[in-house]
Amino acid sequence: MTSIVADRVAVQSRSSAAVGSIPWPLYAVVFASTCIVVGLIWDISWHRTVGRDTFWTLAHVLEQVAAVVAGLTCGWIVLHTTFAGAPEARARSVRFWRFFQGPLGAWVCIWGTLMMITSAPFDNWWHNAYGLDVKIISPPHMVLAWGMFGIQIGALLMTLSAQNRAAEEDQRTYSIIYAFAAGVLVTMIATVIMEEASVANEMHGSKFYMVTGWTIPLFLIGLSRASKLRWPATTITAIYMAISLAMIWILQLFEATPMLAPIYNPVTHMVPSPFPLLLIVPAFAVDLVMQRVGRGRDWRLAALIGLTWVLAMVAVHWFWAEFLLTPAARNWFFASDQWSYDARLGPWRYEFHNLDRDGAGKWSPLLFARGIGIAVVMSMVASRLSLYLGNGMSRVKR
Amino acid sequence: MRFASLARRTAIVSSLLIVCSAHIGSPDAVYEGAAGPYHVFVRVETPPVVPGVANVFVRVTGAGVQEVGVQANRYDALAAAPPPERAKPVEGEANLYSAPLWMMSGGSNSVSVYVRGALGSGKAVIPVVVVASRMLALDPRLGAGLIVVGTFLFVGLITIVGAAFREGVLAPGEQPDGGRKVKARTAMALTTAFMALVLFGGSKWWTGEERAFKRSIFKPLKASATATTGPAPRLDFLISDSIWRMRNDSAWLRRNSASRWTPIIPDHGKLMHLFAVREPDLGAFAHLHPVTADSVTFSAALPPLPPGRYRVYGDIVHESGFTQTLSAQVELTGAGKDATKLSDADDGWHVATAALAADRAVLEDGSVMTLAAPAGGFVERRDATLQITVRTADDHPLSLEPYIGMPGHAVVTRDDGSVFVHLHPSGTVSMASQMTFLMRRPGDSIAGTLSRRLQATEMTHMMEQAPDARGAVSFPYAFPKAGRYRLWVQVKNGGRILTGAFALEVQPAKS
Repeated sequence: MTSIVADRVAVQSRSSAAVGSIPWPLYAVVFASTCIVVGLIWDISWHRTVGRDTFWTLAHVLEQVAAVVAGLTCGWIVLHTTFAGAPEARARSVRFWRFFQGPLGAWVCIWGTLMMITSAPFDNWWHNAYGLDVKIISPPHMVLAWGMFGIQIGALLMTLSAQNRAAEEDQRTYSIIYAFAAGVLVTMIATVIMEEASVANEMHGSKFYMVTGWTIPLFLIGLSRASKLRWPATTITAIYMAISLAMIWILQLFEATPMLAPIYNPVTHMVPSPFPLLLIVPAFAVDLVMQRVGRGRDWRLAALIGLTWVLAMVAVHWFWAEFLLTPAARNWFFASDQWSYDARLGPWRYEFHNLDRDGAGKWSPLLFARGIGIAVVMSMVASRLSLYLGNGMSRVKR
Repeated sequence: MRFASLARRTAIVSSLLIVCSAHIGSPDAVYEGAAGPYHVFVRVETPPVVPGVANVFVRVTGAGVQEVGVQANRYDALAAAPPPERAKPVEGEANLYSAPLWMMSGGSNSVSVYVRGALGSGKAVIPVVVVASRMLALDPRLGAGLIVVGTFLFVGLITIVGAAFREGVLAPGEQPDGGRKVKARTAMALTTAFMALVLFGGSKWWTGEERAFKRSIFKPLKASATATTGPAPRLDFLISDSIWRMRNDSAWLRRNSASRWTPIIPDHGKLMHLFAVREPDLGAFAHLHPVTADSVTFSAALPPLPPGRYRVYGDIVHESGFTQTLSAQVELTGAGKDATKLSDADDGWHVATAALAADRAVLEDGSVMTLAAPAGGFVERRDATLQITVRTADDHPLSLEPYIGMPGHAVVTRDDGSVFVHLHPSGTVSMASQMTFLMRRPGDSIAGTLSRRLQATEMTHMMEQAPDARGAVSFPYAFPKAGRYRLWVQVKNGGRILTGAFALEVQPAKS
């Protein structure tokens, strides 16, 4: 039986990695990771359109499928490696409590699954104690989020070790699988910060650039460093864009109406997330910087990435935001101006929020510049940390 | 349905009942009346948190009922409403339907009941006040379980990090050397410290959330009461809460993160129904209708109440439909004993001169008021109708003249003061509040617009009422908890307010 990742990669190192020969656990965990982010975006849309949910809404089922698939797959890998694994498979595993053996990513996936399960009774109690989902960011939801991230990072580590161990002729296939898993993770990050940084109305305030300045690079830069593609950041953000666009375009096709009161905005179709951030542009710039600076000069590279990232974000989103607030963006393609059923619609829809205003209430370029300066510093620090993690990830082989 | 059972369990295990809303200690809304051609008895168990799940119970009288639906809405959401939830028949009960109903928004809400059947379709609207009302302690079993699992996950994460640094980057088969082991231990120590920080931050966060929730628990507007002696003894009830006094100052409200209360509207022609109950013996009671010039100070002529410490309750209805009972204490010296003139013809009072019975009270004019208890007596959280009949001394039904718009009023309080509710023949709901839901139009966003229209309708309604010659009136209710209760029932005959008092025992529910 050579169906676990380590065994299969060993076989593939001697032959070409045709897509059909990729080990099933790799498919399974990447599928689980994708289900998590798709389920989450779907669930957010459900809450903005229908409102009322149950344990069994399809979006929730997708999350449960992800936990079950990742948990069972990785549980099986660990048990098989520990009790019936080939010597090569054991050699490619890490030990847990000096006895159990399995790939590093499998352990992280199992941990993530247990976190997700733990969050359920905690969340139920929280609903009874403080109200039903008063806030998205709550302690039990954070336990759930850590669990979701656990599964996604576990899946990423499994694709990463497969990429790092792959023979040269298989490199591209595994690198693309890894980039896809990384793209899914970036989509997750962008979804988590959606409340803070997603709608065009926020894009003229420095807070938007502070939030996107550290959260995205903290993951994207390290993920890119560990990739073996020529344009990793561009590829990863392109995958983020593709998943996000598919979700907003598909969701809008479904008719749905609110099931809960109060309804201040009688929507008739699933309300999608806002149009994805144009991360691909700063990501392309980051790829260019990384290619130019190369490895070994990470402090300088982090400083350059931080500056490049934030400036490119401002350059793109400042004007992009203006377009998204025009009537030309209020259509199926750009999905602009679509709000939750309980939103009290008003002129705020077409105004910029969170602007950097002075004491007199006027927009201050100086305050904006100061905010951008802070965003650049935050981005530099996040990039440096991310490069450190990325260097470690480049060496993951188990 | 999972939520329904959870909500019920929550009510049972709630550690501390702090306050309730429209009344005191009696958060459920009870309504009895018509839903088109059907007669319905509706009880809405309001959720103790917002958003939360209400449990709606509808008992329908009328042949050929095919479907019962319930629907929640907030008072100002006029653009659309969600489709009604289908209520399911309750097993083992005849004509009783129930449904869990999500209440997403705090404040003034309504529950509409739809009945469809052989007689056609009917609808009843029940105003419901939705507010956070209690803190919930963590179930020790759940807490212990979370600690065990949390410890396992904590240790698991540190072990994984150690494994990653020790072996994760080694070529297959390679054994970790001393340096790598040291690195792994360092990483584990750092992760432990980091996770300890995360847990510490999480615990602080939780505490902060709990504190914020505690602040959000509804507290009625603060009030105080004073009694004035002199030639015209007076009882003044003052809404002293800054949020009320500063309600027209937008800048102040913004600075203090306070929402603006909508104005008070008259309920049966009275801006406030003020009740005084002597503590702790509950031996004296008054139902007054003070007048006000500024919606802050409400004054009523003091009736001849015996001296003592009194709990004073002020029932008010806001234009949003939100109802609340404000309360204060006052020490009376008996100065009102010589009062000859009351400030409102509908003011009434009662002083107990003998031990009270549970089923019979002799009124001032010699007529006898009787209360029929349901079979098995009154039981907590069970629908019960307080059925009152009044007969003259020579055993004829006493004609009940409309008293503030209805055949009678009732007030229920628990002997420890933890429950206080003002009942009408239609239940716990305020008629004025109900009317705000029935008459609100999209243009009523300007304060006072709806109120003016309501008053015109109410006056017409009150003038049309005729006396009830049967001498019978009933008050639908469900006692919130077991204990000893006092009930005062007020009716009107010959232009005179007659008050009967009863001492009741409410039994705990058998689980």
